[in-house]
Amino acid sequence: MRLVATLLFASALVCDAAEISAGRWEGSIQIPGREQKLIVDLAQAKTGVWVGSVILPGLDVKGAALADITVKNSDAAFTIKNALSGPQIGQAKFRARLNTKGALAGDFLQAGNTAPFVLEKTGPPQVELPPQSSVVAKELEGEWIGEYELLGYPRHVTVRLTNHAGGGATSEFVVVGKETNNLPVDLVTQQEDFIRIESHETGINYEGRFRKDSDKITGTFEQGPLEIPLVLHRAKSAS
Amino acid sequence: MKRLWLAVALMSLSAAAFCDGQSMFRGDAIHSGTYASQAPREFHRVKWKFPTGDRVVSSPVCQDNVVYFGGDDGNVYAVDATTGNQTWKHATGGPVPSTPAVADGVVYVGSYDGKFYALNAKTGRTKWKFATGGERRFEAKGLNGLQPKNQTMADPFDVFLSSPVVAQGAVYFGSGDGNLYALDAASGELRWKFPTGDVVHSSPAYGGGVLYFGSWDSFFYAVDAATGKEKWRFHGGEDALIHNQVGFQSSPAVFNGVVYTGCRDSNLYALDAATGKENWRFNNELSWVITAPAVAQGKVFFATSDSSLYHVVDAITGKPVLRQQSKAYMFSSPAVAGDVVLIGVLNGTLEARDIKTGELLWDYQIETSKQNKGWVLTADRKFNNPMLYYSNWREAPVVGTERQFGIGAIFSTPLVVNGVVYFGSTDGYLYALE
Repeated sequence: MRLVATLLFASALVCDAAEISAGRWEGSIQIPGREQKLIVDLAQAKTGVWVGSVILPGLDVKGAALADITVKNSDAAFTIKNALSGPQIGQAKFRARLNTKGALAGDFLQAGNTAPFVLEKTGPPQVELPPQSSVVAKELEGEWIGEYELLGYPRHVTVRLTNHAGGGATSEFVVVGKETNNLPVDLVTQQEDFIRIESHETGINYEGRFRKDSDKITGTFEQGPLEIPLVLHRAKSAS
Repeated sequence: MKRLWLAVALMSLSAAAFCDGQSMFRGDAIHSGTYASQAPREFHRVKWKFPTGDRVVSSPVCQDNVVYFGGDDGNVYAVDATTGNQTWKHATGGPVPSTPAVADGVVYVGSYDGKFYALNAKTGRTKWKFATGGERRFEAKGLNGLQPKNQTMADPFDVFLSSPVVAQGAVYFGSGDGNLYALDAASGELRWKFPTGDVVHSSPAYGGGVLYFGSWDSFFYAVDAATGKEKWRFHGGEDALIHNQVGFQSSPAVFNGVVYTGCRDSNLYALDAATGKENWRFNNELSWVITAPAVAQGKVFFATSDSSLYHVVDAITGKPVLRQQSKAYMFSSPAVAGDVVLIGVLNGTLEARDIKTGELLWDYQIETSKQNKGWVLTADRKFNNPMLYYSNWREAPVVGTERQFGIGAIFSTPLVVNGVVYFGSTDGYLYALE
């Protein structure tokens, strides 16, 4: 009987040790010629869904959201949503397994390169949740148009802001130059008179200040290092 | 036996002629970028590699079986073309990312110490030296969008110094002090200097008694070689916002009454050599044209930086003939050698392409590039920009650029002599491949 109890207890221990748990995991990636510090925060919501964020000191990555998180017993995999990525190189990925010492060890894949990493649990998770779009003021809703010039060529911009019941605002963000670019917008936020529209995938943002008296938004079109003044006027309605 | 002797004699004669035709940047005074020797269509081996103390950005030239080049370690080198053994080195006070010109037993080259040197080609001893107004790189406030915006920054991509051309008993070169200089080749006395509005690191081409070169002041100039008087100027693009799309860093070629030059405004221009009027332009959509164009068989060969494209266009019309996608930026200039075009790539690869199809015949990857420390490159040898340029604040972009260049980047323009390809790399070696 005592033997059975011992076996059951031991089996529970093994089971516990073999399962990845929520927490802050710290360690490093052994990139050739560069040991890269890595901090991963993993947590499980009440719904059972895993959320997480990552810190890569020295690479300007702090609290980047993790995506496509899968945790199954001792195996985990996840990607970094908006860092160390690009249209040509895809997303950075982690594949990990809990080893017998309780460390999370695996491979880091970025731009086709692969390097091993080892993480140890150092405390409870401190997941940074990605910012959410806010509701914008009623008078900002609708279509806005403007124009800027880049290296002698005009670009026409259309922004269409829409509030949604129970959620933040969304925006269409279209730039027409030689081609028409319908930019994917991740985030729309309003703080006081300031409205900010972000397209993380393209690195293009717009930030402007709404002037109620003139009914226009005076701001800056940001494209990578470029900051170009851009004033948006309310589009005249078709009627 | 007699026939064999004759053949050997002819071969050695032509070999000497080949080498003599490669004694300045781009092979000749007009900067055609064409070389009499056939480049290998297959890579066989590294014949030798010669170590220096720092990056080799300079392009090698050859005279009498001696290869001459500059090193960023401050030395001018003479190396036996056959053995790769050092013949001599001459120390200057700064990096030498300029390509020497050799004429009448004298090696002419500029250094970042602000001096221009004439050295005995056999011994490396100083014949004369001339102090310019001092070297500097192109600089601007908020350059390339770097922060802080009001800080003046030197351009880390301004890697070359102007390479001299020798003609009419004079040696001509540009300087970071904004002047084009004409010095007496024998004495080093100043004949004249021509001022421009900014750094001149473009290398002047000489044709029909006229010098053609560009400046970072956004103008391209034609100057009378005898008098230093301006014949015409052509205005390239401007970029008041971040100073990225401005300036002639490329060196021109002049051929059949047309001057071809790349520009940082992303155009390759074809200008009438007599009037400076634009014949055509080939736009590369925000991608710099730093390479000096090569002109051969009625076509112009050049490559781009960010878009990393190898282009061949019709010399008369500018219409595209072919283009091939490379993997990384190209600052090295294409060298046409028989039916092969060679070009260095900043990812540490030398590419050999078929002149007709542009297809890659072979490539050679520098060992440093293979090691890919710090993941400067993606697995398929493109630049891994998220690992390099993660911040535009402080010196981060400069550090990123240094790491990028440290992969064994090939800025150097290949030289082909007797079927052997010579070029330098930022890994500090001069290579001889066959």
